[in-house]
Amino acid sequence: MKRFVTIGIALPVFIMLVIWSCSSDSNEEIKVESFNATPYVIPEMAYFPKNLNIPANNPMTMEGVELGRYLFYDGRLSGNTSKDMLMSCATCHIQENGFEVGLDHPKFIEGKTFGLPSEEYPEGESTPNYMLPIVNSVYNLNGYGWNGFVHESNYLKGSSENNVPSEEDFHFKNIESFVWMAITASHEMNSTIEKSVAAIDAIPMYKPKFEAAFGTEDVTYDRISKSIAQFVRSIVAHNSKFHKYLRQEAELSLQEKKGHDLFFSEDADCFHCHGGSVLMTTNQYFNNAKDVTLNIKDLDRNSITGDPMDNGAFRAPSLINIELTAPYMHDGRFKTLDEMIDFYSEGLVYSDYVHPLMKNVREKGVQLNDEDKAALKAFLLTLTDHEMIRSSQYACPPALKEWSGQ
Amino acid sequence: MKRHQFFVAVFVVLNILSSCKKSADTESDKNTAKLVFYFEHFADGKELALDEMKYISTAGNQYEVTEIQWFISDITLNKNDGSKLLLDDEKFAHYIDTNLPETGKWVVTDAIPVGEYESISMIFGIKGEKNKQLMYTDPPENDMLWPVNLGGDQGGYHYMKLNGFWINKEDQRTPFNFHLGVGQEKDADNNITGFIQNWFETELPASSFSIDENETKSISIRMNVDSWWDKPNMYNHDEHGGKIMQNQKAMRMGVENGRSVFSIGSIASVVAE
Repeated sequence: MKRFVTIGIALPVFIMLVIWSCSSDSNEEIKVESFNATPYVIPEMAYFPKNLNIPANNPMTMEGVELGRYLFYDGRLSGNTSKDMLMSCATCHIQENGFEVGLDHPKFIEGKTFGLPSEEYPEGESTPNYMLPIVNSVYNLNGYGWNGFVHESNYLKGSSENNVPSEEDFHFKNIESFVWMAITASHEMNSTIEKSVAAIDAIPMYKPKFEAAFGTEDVTYDRISKSIAQFVRSIVAHNSKFHKYLRQEAELSLQEKKGHDLFFSEDADCFHCHGGSVLMTTNQYFNNAKDVTLNIKDLDRNSITGDPMDNGAFRAPSLINIELTAPYMHDGRFKTLDEMIDFYSEGLVYSDYVHPLMKNVREKGVQLNDEDKAALKAFLLTLTDHEMIRSSQYACPPALKEWSGQ
Repeated sequence: MKRHQFFVAVFVVLNILSSCKKSADTESDKNTAKLVFYFEHFADGKELALDEMKYISTAGNQYEVTEIQWFISDITLNKNDGSKLLLDDEKFAHYIDTNLPETGKWVVTDAIPVGEYESISMIFGIKGEKNKQLMYTDPPENDMLWPVNLGGDQGGYHYMKLNGFWINKEDQRTPFNFHLGVGQEKDADNNITGFIQNWFETELPASSFSIDENETKSISIRMNVDSWWDKPNMYNHDEHGGKIMQNQKAMRMGVENGRSVFSIGSIASVVAE
């Protein structure tokens, strides 16, 4: 009997030692709730990046993505139940506009968004910058926001000086972080975490969805942010005409091909900042010769890196769905593609901080003629993924039509 | 007896544990060593200072460098009996970026047979048959795309982007992109009729070394930036302007100069910590 006891103790210890000795070096503890959910797989598409921004503590699941879709479209996330005070993610991130607000919104005139009304701002406080695309965010490993302030390396982590709560859930780390920022920002939902969680907790339909996604019915901020982030990561655009052209599933017209060749050459020279991949962005930050002097109110890339060469630099956004995502630039200064093309053709201005890729700055731009401009525009229009903007996978659930705050 | 069983059990456990470790003493590792390459950028004989308008080219251009991004590939060790050892053929190319310090190091995966090596040679850029369109899907390498309309099927990626500013004839600080890759042949109407592979192989001067069993050798490969514009062609930014991807004459001058751009910074044994 004693022998069996000895073996009973020694064998597991032995096995543990063997496993330990053969395991990889990484012993980092990852907080992941265990449950039986179905893994969600981002479809592998030709030429798209293989490295995905999916944190180890928030693996994507079918149930998590679906819960996230509901929460994305639920205006009660703002902590309000009165229908004239609803704001959801989808209030501004509108699917048919490539998940941006667009130029033609009845309330957000010319794409200028603002938050829910408050005593201080009865009409709502203006959002500092114009919107950025959230499509294909799962492929971005170089920070989010116009200046990339949401990144694993953000030095603002847990600093009370910067009014950032010290708990990990509230760092500026990843897509998850945008949920608490949207809830609490005075220029967005203008709510509190407690109020918003309570509002979602009070809605009976969510209990089984939280259980399916996370194993229990508990509604927590952590689960809300993780599921919304999962849904956002699921929004991918793989099927523009340009993507199909690369996969030899579609042909470009002669004019579109001419625009393609201008885009991908030093004649129009768009590709050094926006090309290089099917994402139509390098996700890098550039001073693109918009201004002679810096706007001190701008939170540019320099505000994150401290590098003088990043003065006036902002993210080169993805051009996927570009026809739907006006206005353009961080300050929305260009309302149309024509204005944007004109700027790069003959509107550049020199400053000491201009990025050297803006090599035509002394000539004020690449100097396209009207025919070239039309061709370039025709190519840019091939970047719209019409399947994505109509996909029911990303659409507002019918049960939330009246609650979406759209 | 029980004590004897205990020691046997400990012996078995220790044997199994040691068998799972990635040991340097396995049969396949005998008579081999390791190589680590470091990449450095110099100008005027000193480490390159980025973003400082303090350099003067042979043509008299005052210039500064903002960033350098480039590919080295097919590093080969040459023995005096004529045999060659191509390193890490599966990976074959390594990307170096002054904005990404971690790219300044290439730990060679292949085990290096011990012995004497007469020289090291390398490809600047990527050979045409390996430089396939869209073979890189992820950054930073995929941002080096050399468009198919400018390079054909064997012109997938820039060999180098060297970006900076020079003071032009009007005394203006002006951006330049000294980008090298596949060039274009053109007809009288400026239509592209063919492509020209501009990558080149170069044997690094003073690159002989020996390596002993279990030794790790650290070798730094230096790019002497000013040499891009020195000889045999005196390259003048005022003449060629800020962009040369579609200017084979300028690229040809660059790659001809490139054969004297690279040298060995140092070769040293890495002392185990």
